[in-house]
Amino acid sequence: MEEFRRRNTGIPRNYEKLPSKDQNENGENNKTYKAMAYKPTRPGINKYIDLLREHQDITIPIFFTLLSFWTRFYLISYSNIVVWDEFASHYIKREFYFDVHPPLGKMLVGLAGLLAGYDGSFEFKSGEVYPDNVNYTWMRIFLSSFGAWMVPLAYFTAIELDYSQQSAILVTLFVLLDTAYICISRFILLDSMLLLFTFTTVFCLTKFHNERKNPFSVDWWIWLTLTGTSIGCVSSVKWVGLFATALVGLYTIEDLWNKFGDLSMPKIVCCQHWLARIGCLIILPITVYMLTFVIHFAILIHSGPGDAQMSSLFQASLIGNDFDQNPLELAYGSKITLKNMGYGGGLLHSHVQTYPSGSEQQQVTCYHHKDSNNDWIVKKPREVAWSEDDEIEFVKNGDSIRLFHASTGRNLHSHMIAAPVTTSLWEVSCYGNETIGDQNDYWVIEVVDDLYEKDLQTVRSLTTRIRFRHINIGCYLRADNAVLPQWGFKQIEVTCDKSNNTKDAYTHWNIERHWNDKLPPGPKAKYRSKFIHDFWHLNVAMYTSNNALVPDPDKEDILASTPDQWPLLKVGLRMCSWADDVVKFYLLGNPVVWWSGSLSLVIYLISLTWYLIRQQRKYIDFPSNAQWDHFLYIGKVCGIGWLLHYLPFCIMGRVTYLHHYFPALYFSILMVGFLFDHFTVYLAGKTRHIVFGTCYFLVFAVFWFFKDIAFGMDYPAIEISNRKWLSTWNIVD
Amino acid sequence: MSQVRQRQGGDNKLKVGEKTIHEEKRKESKTPNEDEETKKKVVVSPGRDKQISNAVLFFLTVSSFITRFWNIGYPAEVVFDEVHFGKFASYYLQRTYYFDVHPPLAKLMFAGVGWLLGYDGHYLFENIGEDYIKNNVPYIGLRILPATLGALLVPIAYLIMIESGYPIITAAFAAGLVLFDNALITQTRLILLDAMLVFFMLCTLYSYIRFYKLRLREFTLDWWFWLVVTGVSLSLTTSVKMVGLFTFATIGVAVLVDLWELLDIQRGLTMRQFRRHFFARSIGLIFTPLAIYLFWFYLHFAILNTSGPGDDFMSPEFQETLHGNIMTFQSHDIRFNDTITIKHKDTSVFLHSHLDKYPLRYDDGRISSQGQQITGYPHEDSNNYWRVKPAIPFFDQERPENDVIKHGDYILLEHVNSLSHLLTHDVASPLMPTNQEFTTISVDDDSRYNETMFQVLIVNGEPDTKWRTKASHFRLVHYDTKVALWTHDAPLPDWAYKQQEVNGNKNNLEKSNYWFANEIIGKNVTEDVQPKKPTRELAFLRKFVELQRLMISHNSGLTKPHPYSTGPINWPFLVRGISFWTKDSTREQIYLLGNPFTWWIGVGALAVFVGVTAADAVSRRRGILPIIDPVRNRLYNSAGFFFIGWFFHYIPFFLMGRSLFLHHYLPAVICSYLLAAAVFNFMFVNSINYPISASATKKKITRVVLTAGVGVMTILFGIALLGIASVFYIFFAPLTYGTPGLDVSGVLNRKWLETWDFHFAK
Repeated sequence: MEEFRRRNTGIPRNYEKLPSKDQNENGENNKTYKAMAYKPTRPGINKYIDLLREHQDITIPIFFTLLSFWTRFYLISYSNIVVWDEFASHYIKREFYFDVHPPLGKMLVGLAGLLAGYDGSFEFKSGEVYPDNVNYTWMRIFLSSFGAWMVPLAYFTAIELDYSQQSAILVTLFVLLDTAYICISRFILLDSMLLLFTFTTVFCLTKFHNERKNPFSVDWWIWLTLTGTSIGCVSSVKWVGLFATALVGLYTIEDLWNKFGDLSMPKIVCCQHWLARIGCLIILPITVYMLTFVIHFAILIHSGPGDAQMSSLFQASLIGNDFDQNPLELAYGSKITLKNMGYGGGLLHSHVQTYPSGSEQQQVTCYHHKDSNNDWIVKKPREVAWSEDDEIEFVKNGDSIRLFHASTGRNLHSHMIAAPVTTSLWEVSCYGNETIGDQNDYWVIEVVDDLYEKDLQTVRSLTTRIRFRHINIGCYLRADNAVLPQWGFKQIEVTCDKSNNTKDAYTHWNIERHWNDKLPPGPKAKYRSKFIHDFWHLNVAMYTSNNALVPDPDKEDILASTPDQWPLLKVGLRMCSWADDVVKFYLLGNPVVWWSGSLSLVIYLISLTWYLIRQQRKYIDFPSNAQWDHFLYIGKVCGIGWLLHYLPFCIMGRVTYLHHYFPALYFSILMVGFLFDHFTVYLAGKTRHIVFGTCYFLVFAVFWFFKDIAFGMDYPAIEISNRKWLSTWNIVD
Repeated sequence: MSQVRQRQGGDNKLKVGEKTIHEEKRKESKTPNEDEETKKKVVVSPGRDKQISNAVLFFLTVSSFITRFWNIGYPAEVVFDEVHFGKFASYYLQRTYYFDVHPPLAKLMFAGVGWLLGYDGHYLFENIGEDYIKNNVPYIGLRILPATLGALLVPIAYLIMIESGYPIITAAFAAGLVLFDNALITQTRLILLDAMLVFFMLCTLYSYIRFYKLRLREFTLDWWFWLVVTGVSLSLTTSVKMVGLFTFATIGVAVLVDLWELLDIQRGLTMRQFRRHFFARSIGLIFTPLAIYLFWFYLHFAILNTSGPGDDFMSPEFQETLHGNIMTFQSHDIRFNDTITIKHKDTSVFLHSHLDKYPLRYDDGRISSQGQQITGYPHEDSNNYWRVKPAIPFFDQERPENDVIKHGDYILLEHVNSLSHLLTHDVASPLMPTNQEFTTISVDDDSRYNETMFQVLIVNGEPDTKWRTKASHFRLVHYDTKVALWTHDAPLPDWAYKQQEVNGNKNNLEKSNYWFANEIIGKNVTEDVQPKKPTRELAFLRKFVELQRLMISHNSGLTKPHPYSTGPINWPFLVRGISFWTKDSTREQIYLLGNPFTWWIGVGALAVFVGVTAADAVSRRRGILPIIDPVRNRLYNSAGFFFIGWFFHYIPFFLMGRSLFLHHYLPAVICSYLLAAAVFNFMFVNSINYPISASATKKKITRVVLTAGVGVMTILFGIALLGIASVFYIFFAPLTYGTPGLDVSGVLNRKWLETWDFHFAK
């Protein structure tokens, strides 16, 4: 309160101690009270030491980089089992697989395998011992080098953010000595790449920011392009990278908004600014992202476990696929599987489980896994005399048919009962059997078009697009990407849609597999699907499965944690079996790093409010506007960066793990560095040294105390029970 | 560059609005031209203005009462949620304890009306469609209360706009939208809470505007009066429904912005003066409301002193404060070697065992212990009998054989019919691999004695709290593995007759672990009757905190889908209504549906407002000032205030998990009407009365700088819009008033959207 009362017009008392204006000019952008660059005052104790000191802006990062490589590589092959999610084989074997993450990270893992001479034969089951022919050490080294480069990047980012050298070293040490960063970087996982690209994004952004006074210079273009490339890469490793993209996006929007308001800027220049950003920050990253998929499709040319996620045509183009055994034209008595042609569509499926509500009849879903529950037999309506032994009769456009589920012997059925999830549409179920049933089992086949054939009277496997119209209600069989709850095994809901929308791809189906003993295999044809179509299809499928990764309330997942536990480091994560004879790794951050990081965000918020209130009372806390702008700029990069990487996890329904917090942690670390600078700027040089020295020591000491959880414990966990600082850490039972 | 900076600095000031003295001077010097222009348009003098305004107000109020009271006695049957709120009023009159998720004020008001009418609360409003006249309920009297408040919404809306400095036509436009809204009429004619809610909410807005206009006469009596009235209305809103918290947020934002401007040094306040402002507002807007809110609960507890249907929701301690509660005469101490039945609190099943064994292998391939099954069973049965025996290692030999069991004692439970002890061990339960299996072991087998010992932990127990039937909730925690006896609503397969699974929960602190002893077998109730205890006393605050917590948790637990619940995104567009009541014989129905015309005007106004502010922001950025300052300030301060009101009464619903209904949008729709009128003014009047705030000096007359000039066309246009609204209102009136009945074509004519699911459409 005392602070408020003093109505202040002149210079506040503190500022007498400020470095004079001239000295301030030396700071690169005249924003910070950066400590003076070292000038050797005492010449010649030792000329080598002098040399090192003179070039400290290079020697210091080199020193830390070396340390970083040591921490990441030390004892890297100690555990010879597959730890947690380690995997690699699909790219080596060139088999098509499906995963919720974009391909860049996994391709790099594949590259690591290739370099290590791995042949793809090992299955990578968690907990299994690596056989002799898998050089897992080299694979781990390749990937952990990504993690190692985080350290010099942190240093240079801090320098670009105008931190003092002591602060930059503090930030570097935090990144270097965080046990969680070390631990996650040492295995064949995607996170080291994700983190590295997050770091490069922030680095490029700060570099670009510092070039803002020289727009359209060569350096400006370089860093703008690199920022774009970097966000492209980070989003191609995991979709979490989109949060980093959002940070760059918000920065750019603010920047452009300012330019928009700058009336002194010629309009043409303003437009050029817009175009440059659109080109480098929108088109370029999308290109990078799509490029990774181009390579992905180019490498994976063999049929594999992920086939079923893709469209039938794409599958047909894979080597080792047996679709060419399909007879060409659909006939009565044929056994078929039906593929939905919407993006992310699956195979029409049914199983003995029933709906818990509505009709309580047998469930019909769309499913991406291939099994015999996807097989349907095309039959005539019961009223028409027909037997399996009759002459072959082909199905014509407009025929009424009955779809008979092969393994349960029931018919595809619909009625005027609301569907379980999309309640505005009708439910589709399986009902009756060969003899029992009613008109509601009959569907009219409508041919939409055919890829190759002009004649739309017959139905051809793979290439003909068909719709199924319910004969009584007139609704169309439809499956979009609505996911059923746990009782439906998170499969996709199938409904019947009253609106007759010919363009709606979710009502389009094609025949994927086709078996009929009486018909010969169709003629060989070269099927080719469009890249852009496959790209969309795969991304929609990734999105749908990502959404289906919701926590199962009946199953307690000991690995999962909730976002509210992260900032205070309330949980750790056991990365492997906790048996006494296994080399154990515990994913847990360095408490000093995590706690000070979270604390710094709170302190920043408090000081921001404090300064704002004081500004409203016209106190002058910042000698120049540039310093206040810099204070806000750090808040935007670190504070908003942290929020963007943290808050979405609170809203997301999917199951979350501790390592999801790692990108956010970086922003809080940067904030620590800034606050140290901010609050120690008036201290005498010596006091400053003591403050920073204490912190360096503290973070190192705690790291040393905890180092075994990251480097691997080959002794029973009980021996480190004194590391269990919080009762919630399950480091010991 | 410097030019830019200067303008940006100016920008900040402009946002502050019509506050600073500097600016007012600046404006005055700027406006003479516009002044002359607008003065030309002025058609009436202020004195006549006042008369016309009163006449319009009178006319609107009368029409409003007519629309709300027409045929109010029809239908003489229980409609929709009258089932609940009528019932609650009866409970007050009977003084029996009930539980509801809403705070008590509105229901107390109904009870008060009922009491004045001499109604004794004998009728319990059991089902929709039951006859009032047969049951002799003064339902018309009860309905008059909300209908009166609902009718008053129209004049208040009018006054809000007048006080905000809009011309008569604009105010009448706002009031007209409220007048002709079918949804507001339907909802406020019945025994429902929303009439009170919306009424108090509008009172809050009105009194805050009055308060704000007095800001230059700070700390005068008037100023204090309106501040406190704002606080009181806020509190009354919240005491009707917790939605009042959204009103709090609306006012809160306005107050924070106001305080922020007061803090500005250019306002010339010292820190001392600022603190005075700050504390005045916290007294008026935080402490007063809190005290009033608590008062209703005090009244609630004071009236409801008898045991009733709400008992089961409350803790045993709470129940003991009610007259005639089961706890007071059916609760006994449990002694060692008594035989008892044990019931699970959440799912109401008995702990049960029978001679069947767990199967060797479950469907998923896991293996069981093949021990005797333990299940949860909902019916009385001798297989539910358990004898409580002391655990020998912990039993103090000094204690008598049949000593009373206390909190923390270790016991064994012997299943009487099979002579075996309850046991749990580290084997996965049939349905949940994470939880432990429960089984039994013969009483003769002492080899696993450790695994049969359990500790009785009474909820809120002290070391000498006695374990009592019914009154004590307890957790039964296993000595050996520390799991708690637990069950959940999941049936076992046929091998256990679909009885409920019982297992050991590793998280032994969860509330779902609570059980209670239901009765002591063989203990004759009359034999052991203790002298009737005086009912227990509990501190008011403790009762309040308990009830408030339960209200919140039950409110968010109201997730059961209802056929007429809708998502918030549907509301502004009036995608679907709610069927309140139907009568087959006459094809009559009441269907809650807004007036589509006014409703869609509301949405349109929101869109226009957002569009105009965005366009203004963009063009200002380029140095173009498209709107003159007084008009712009009014748009931002007044329309912005209504917009914030709409925003806070609408957006939070998106974050709620409970099932939601169209009538939750009613507070927001009123805000959108006020906004619509402000936008109407902006578009067609394009001028305002300015200034409207009382000046700092006590001079009676405020010098008018600007008077809104209203053209004849504007008036005609406004009246035309209201005319259309009234046509729509009359067209949909049969669904609003429930009469007359409609034939198929009549229903289909009104069914403009596929999703309006009226009855009798076939």
